[in-house]
Amino acid sequence: MLDRALLADLAELTLTTAKRAGATYADIRLGETRREFSFARDARLENFDERLTEGFGFRVLIDGAWGFYGAQRLDSESLRVGALRALDNARAMRSIQKQPIELEQLPAHEAEWIMPMAKDPFAVDASRKADLLLAICASARDAGADFCTASLSIAREERFFANSFGARIAQTRTRLAPSFTAVAIDRAAGRVATRDSLTPARGAGWEYLENAGLIEEASQAGAQARAKLTAKPVTPGDCDLVIDPSNLWLTIHETVGHSTELDRALGWEANFAGTSFVKPHMLNELRFGSELMTIVADRSQPGGLSTIGYDDDGAPADSAEFPIVENGVFRNFQMALGQAHLIGLPASNGCAYADSPTAFPIQRMPNISLRPNPEECSLDDLFADVENGVYVVGAGSWSIDQQRDNFQFGGQLFYEIKNGKRGELLRDVAYQGRTTQFWSALDGLGDAATYHLDGTFTCGKAEPVQLAPVSHGAPPARFRNIRVLNTSNDG
Amino acid sequence: MFLSASEAKTLAERILSRSSAHACVVRIDGGEDNSLRFARGSATTNLTASQLRLRISSHIGGRIGSVTTTRIDDDALTAAVQRSEELAAMLPIDPDYTPPLGPQTFEATNRYEAQTSGLKLDSLAAQARQAIDESARLEVEAFGCANSALRFEALATSAGLFAYEPRSEIDLSVTARNRADAWSGWAGAHDYRPARLDARNVGQRACEKAAWSAEPIDLEPGLYTVILEPEATAELALWLLGAMDARAAEEGRSYFSKPGGGTLIGENLFDPKFTIRIDPNDKLAPEGAFDHEGLPHRKRAFIEGGVARTLRRSRVWAQKTQAEPVPYGHNFIVDGGATTREEMIRSTKRGVLITRLWYTNMVEPKSLLLTGLTRDGNFLVENGRIVAPVRNMRFNQRLGALFSRLTAIGPTERTWRAAGDGAPAAPPIMVDAFNFSSRSSGI
Repeated sequence: MLDRALLADLAELTLTTAKRAGATYADIRLGETRREFSFARDARLENFDERLTEGFGFRVLIDGAWGFYGAQRLDSESLRVGALRALDNARAMRSIQKQPIELEQLPAHEAEWIMPMAKDPFAVDASRKADLLLAICASARDAGADFCTASLSIAREERFFANSFGARIAQTRTRLAPSFTAVAIDRAAGRVATRDSLTPARGAGWEYLENAGLIEEASQAGAQARAKLTAKPVTPGDCDLVIDPSNLWLTIHETVGHSTELDRALGWEANFAGTSFVKPHMLNELRFGSELMTIVADRSQPGGLSTIGYDDDGAPADSAEFPIVENGVFRNFQMALGQAHLIGLPASNGCAYADSPTAFPIQRMPNISLRPNPEECSLDDLFADVENGVYVVGAGSWSIDQQRDNFQFGGQLFYEIKNGKRGELLRDVAYQGRTTQFWSALDGLGDAATYHLDGTFTCGKAEPVQLAPVSHGAPPARFRNIRVLNTSNDG
Repeated sequence: MFLSASEAKTLAERILSRSSAHACVVRIDGGEDNSLRFARGSATTNLTASQLRLRISSHIGGRIGSVTTTRIDDDALTAAVQRSEELAAMLPIDPDYTPPLGPQTFEATNRYEAQTSGLKLDSLAAQARQAIDESARLEVEAFGCANSALRFEALATSAGLFAYEPRSEIDLSVTARNRADAWSGWAGAHDYRPARLDARNVGQRACEKAAWSAEPIDLEPGLYTVILEPEATAELALWLLGAMDARAAEEGRSYFSKPGGGTLIGENLFDPKFTIRIDPNDKLAPEGAFDHEGLPHRKRAFIEGGVARTLRRSRVWAQKTQAEPVPYGHNFIVDGGATTREEMIRSTKRGVLITRLWYTNMVEPKSLLLTGLTRDGNFLVENGRIVAPVRNMRFNQRLGALFSRLTAIGPTERTWRAAGDGAPAAPPIMVDAFNFSSRSSGI
């Protein structure tokens, strides 16, 4: 646990420097990130690494120009120098600051938020973690895999945020990402099949892994990887898809999450992450999908990787509770500080994040999830109305254009759906689509009992690239007439 | 925080002197990065970030525990060393344990120029200004990113290895979009020597590509002759090089696995014009002096004249297979030819000129089926000239087939960077039967 009084004193030092220099706004993030990464391959633990990164990032606004300086240090001299360097950086921007940065006033909160969990994963012995990874590999190989790799990532962010509005916020959150890949090989045929784990990353303590059933899942995965080698090749063409939430979360992330980021729509990410087919004038006008499609943002779902008390601009979690798409109509962009006025809105909706104290905070996703069907509807009910289709489980290879229109997704497991029933295993499946056409083809949703929260530690955006954790919840969903490829024939 | 060789060595020795393990490896890296972004000709975000990171790996009885920290005071160093030893004692014995490397001989590399340390945000803003001025002249909007960095890497082991390499870098990339927001162009440059980066030229190339007022046309998906500019060639070659792993090949998991067992090393797999190599002394894309394990990089061809020559081999896998380890190369060179991009265009009856690729991802590693999209500057070429901008398309393309049919290959040049991994040099290439699988509206 960091010394909060020391962090508060260091923060005051930089904010006072900014005020004396005539800054119109300043903020600072200080703290540390603790990480642990372990990796096993077959019967060998290849890596076990504990990582501790501390530092600060100071951001100042003078004459409508930002300046930022960050360092992996937490001493007063580094902060004193850092404050002056940030001011220099802001002054250096004047020659290319055609459009001054303007900020809205955010409420100044003084608060502490700590993610609840039962068992601190950093307090669990390294030997136990190693044993878990080796047991996962053994379980997959015993069940039919030739090879297996397994990894565990754990992270804890401890931050103190202060700004010139008067906010003083301390927050701590912890997350885990278990992962494995079972590999089966048919040497004679020259074929390889893999099955990645389906157990999602979560904002949680060690108790999550104790109850995740990873060793049992690895056994299933080993057998399924073997079965995929001889599965029936998919017949390419248009057909109905029932998409499991273990796959659909990534489709939501890429097609809805990224397309509704206001900085992209404004062109601020045009040089790298991209822009968006969604434009500011489409707010409340764009028909994004069918009536069944309601997608909401939040920072409060238990287990959510973006669940937190305040964003990295100091905006409270409740400002990030909003619909993005409501009954198929586009309702809200995601915004960080200094963006809302550009589309005639009053304030940020709490979507800022910096992936380390030394990174400039930018707009990033809160948890973004597809609402389940309020009417009772099971997975079997979704299959029941499909004559010819494919059930897609788990996330595979993914790709989408820079405006978030044309996409192609793979998966881990694919099953034929024939005459309303789930059938045999298929292989070599990928699906392609165009975002609004795809969501307009949504015609069936599972109910709350089928809802599942998935996500990633590593959503990339910005230059230099920042990696953000984010969760997406969804029920299984049915889409009509989607283009399916056979990847063994295509290309 | 940038450390000189002597500072890095002193710090490494402070750590090694605290070790009571059977062996210890210390890796230190850090430096200072400067970065600014602009959109529609105006500054958006920027940063200066100072970094210093130590990784301590303690080896005890065939077990390895590692701790990475940014704290360098005496108490923190002692605590980190002790913690890495505690971890090693808790972990299982490594059945393939490989001891740390002793002293090595490294090539003298040349990727550092002290002048870069003076390239702070005012200098980067001046570069951005030149690109923005080009956008005004050509009546398009400019978006971009300028970076400079002074970095170092050091590796020391209790077996006597000390390796150190400083690196200075500067890069600028510019995306230009026409004022109707209906067409775009891109250009980028990266160099280890600041004076060689021509910001105005980068801006001009991006803006000229974007300065088309004609509505882009949609092509039908299908097989097309394509001319891939160097940035696109480098991105595809990076995926191919990434697949050249000895373990994956020998375990039967790779494109380079021979059916029934063994590898395809020595086999003629690609076009005779196709060579990928690394060379720490190359003038265009010099490889670093050593890899993350401390293995020295040497001049080496991975593919030579279409023949697969070498697979990278980790030290662990090399020990297990009783073969020489081969470090992973990041800064590769795809050898070029004599056909210029303009000559390729003149010889094309109907095809597509591609500036760069986006969101490439492997669909099927065994067959090297890659998907992705074109981005920021596709043009239809008909009867020897560029006739129209073409809306972006998705491709699904097997890399083996692509690199087996190079109709023409142009002069190799430095690229901006391929997917953020290294800074390769590559030529423009002309390829038949490139598989576009669907249209995109994304511009």
